[in-house]
Amino acid sequence: MRRFLVIVLLLALMGGFAFGVNRFFALRKANVAAATTPTSVRPAFVLPGTLYIAQQGTIYRLNNGSFTDLHLPKIGTWMQPAVVPGTSNFVAVLRTAAYSEVYLIDSGGHILKKLSQNATTSSTIQLNHWMFWPHVGIDGQTFYVSYDAPKSTGSYEIEFAVWAGALTGKLTSKQWTDPYGYTGGDVGGIPMLNGGLLYSKYQIGNGQVYSRLAIEPRARGNPVYLTDAESDCGEPALSPDNATIAMICTGGTGLQSTRLVVATLTGTKLGPQHVLVDNCLCASPAWAADGSGISYFAPVDATGHFQLWWIANAAGVKATAPKQVTEGLDFDATSPPAWSPT
Amino acid sequence: MIALGFAVSGAAGGLAYFLPAITTAIQDTGHTINRGSPAPSSTPAVDAAPGQPFTVLLLGSDNDAKFSGNNVLTQSMILTRIDPATKHVVMLSIPRDTYVPLSTGGTDKIDKAYLYGGANAAVKTVENAFHVHIDHYAWIGLLGLINLIDKLGGVDVVATNPVLDDFYPADVSGNNPYAYERVAVLPGPQHMNGTLALQYVRSRHGDLRSDFGRSQRQQQVLLAIRTKAKLLGLSDLPDVANAMAADFSTDMSIPQVAALLPLASQITLQTVQQVLLLPPFTSGANVGGQDVLMPNWNLILPETHKYFPAA
Repeated sequence: MRRFLVIVLLLALMGGFAFGVNRFFALRKANVAAATTPTSVRPAFVLPGTLYIAQQGTIYRLNNGSFTDLHLPKIGTWMQPAVVPGTSNFVAVLRTAAYSEVYLIDSGGHILKKLSQNATTSSTIQLNHWMFWPHVGIDGQTFYVSYDAPKSTGSYEIEFAVWAGALTGKLTSKQWTDPYGYTGGDVGGIPMLNGGLLYSKYQIGNGQVYSRLAIEPRARGNPVYLTDAESDCGEPALSPDNATIAMICTGGTGLQSTRLVVATLTGTKLGPQHVLVDNCLCASPAWAADGSGISYFAPVDATGHFQLWWIANAAGVKATAPKQVTEGLDFDATSPPAWSPT
Repeated sequence: MIALGFAVSGAAGGLAYFLPAITTAIQDTGHTINRGSPAPSSTPAVDAAPGQPFTVLLLGSDNDAKFSGNNVLTQSMILTRIDPATKHVVMLSIPRDTYVPLSTGGTDKIDKAYLYGGANAAVKTVENAFHVHIDHYAWIGLLGLINLIDKLGGVDVVATNPVLDDFYPADVSGNNPYAYERVAVLPGPQHMNGTLALQYVRSRHGDLRSDFGRSQRQQQVLLAIRTKAKLLGLSDLPDVANAMAADFSTDMSIPQVAALLPLASQITLQTVQQVLLLPPFTSGANVGGQDVLMPNWNLILPETHKYFPAA
């Protein structure tokens, strides 16, 4: 009997050892940590004003060192917020599988109005439309957005043009830019204080596709190019006084990294370019509403989650070194944050 | 006796953990390349010795519900030269519409070589057309790519431009493999999951460069996968094997694959050279009602043999 018990005990121990070896390997898997929610962390330091910022389809408000989930309805992916100057409201994109819509939302996350009608009830999916990168002019009324129109449902051709309209009227009453065909088009239109429009224009030359920053002083006028094809610069962010542009450039990196660059803007002339961060995956720069610095997104390491970073005095010669603001989050790198002064 | 019992039980525990990887490895690796009988006058090429530069043909296919079994086209063909000593890598994308004599007979788009004769025909067709010797091939299907990227936790890619497509095949996500869905991949650096990455590398309708743009994006994502794969270790093999089980095959043996893993982690982006066969290397034409790319061999062969030894 005793011998039987010893054998049973040994067999149990061997079984436990086998299980332990199995779990030993399981615990040594690469730790590609899932991102946490912004509301469960605090940023490393307090940024000026209020940011509206998107992570995994949800928009959060960052104010006074604390994130708040705006609890927007979970009916799609919320992204690309942009403040409405002179108000505490913002516009944002709601993306679904086949189309995207623009909504007007107050600072508490209450939807005030659905501004666009881009979905079709037809089974012809090509009748749906995309709208991205909404922006509202300093007058709080003039609206700009990248819109995939005009297009023909029988053609493969589809690209964005920047359109202008009224926040309280027709959003796309005037086509502002004429995109280069089959490139993806014109994106990220930012209204300027002088009534012009700054945007990224995609073009193709020598078999390569690239982006150039351009200013279009009036609707469908000739674009004035600020950057060349080789630099491949896009994602412009204009300082509140319109005197400095921040941008993301990819030229010369083999399409595997980017650099964050700033340059002064005088009229339609860009000054010398100053690289703030090189050899990074920097994305979506955004100026603080008081112009005291810029934020941008970049991953900390190869795990790939994009964090918020900050550079103070980015417009001047005394720009500080980049400081990491958040850790363990996963911001939408294609969705520049909106920055409100209060 | 007791010690032996514990050793056996420990081995059993490890075996149980790695069983999916072992099963997949046995099923998916070691497929020999059958080149058929060489021409009497030709000298049979010899595979590269260990440590010497070697050539791999990377193949990517639609293998969704539209296709049965292994009867698939290759949407992606990337001829890759790897020098283990210098860690230098050259990736030459072969446009899928390149009009070439197929090893199975006749002349057609090069993407049909795999359809008519599997990996053997794809390898032999490329060897015959480009006058190179291919040491190994690796094939991956659509779902395998999605699963692999998701298993890696996604990849970071700098999207070259807005990739818009209103006629993207809904063959992975929907019930009808012949239906369309809309795709909009926004430009710039971003974290992509498997589905988004596939849309990025697969879409071509909205790109003036058509297959050339797509080839460039495929190379980008391959390099992004390589960057992310550096994070993986031995313990991740069962998960990766599960992810790719039915969607991967290669002629490389398990030891050869194992020998490649450390090499992959040593290669830096600076030592990877990307080559596309843009015009004037190729030019558009219409043959029998289908759009094809006519290769200019007078230009292609010297360019190819800069990086890949002539066979």
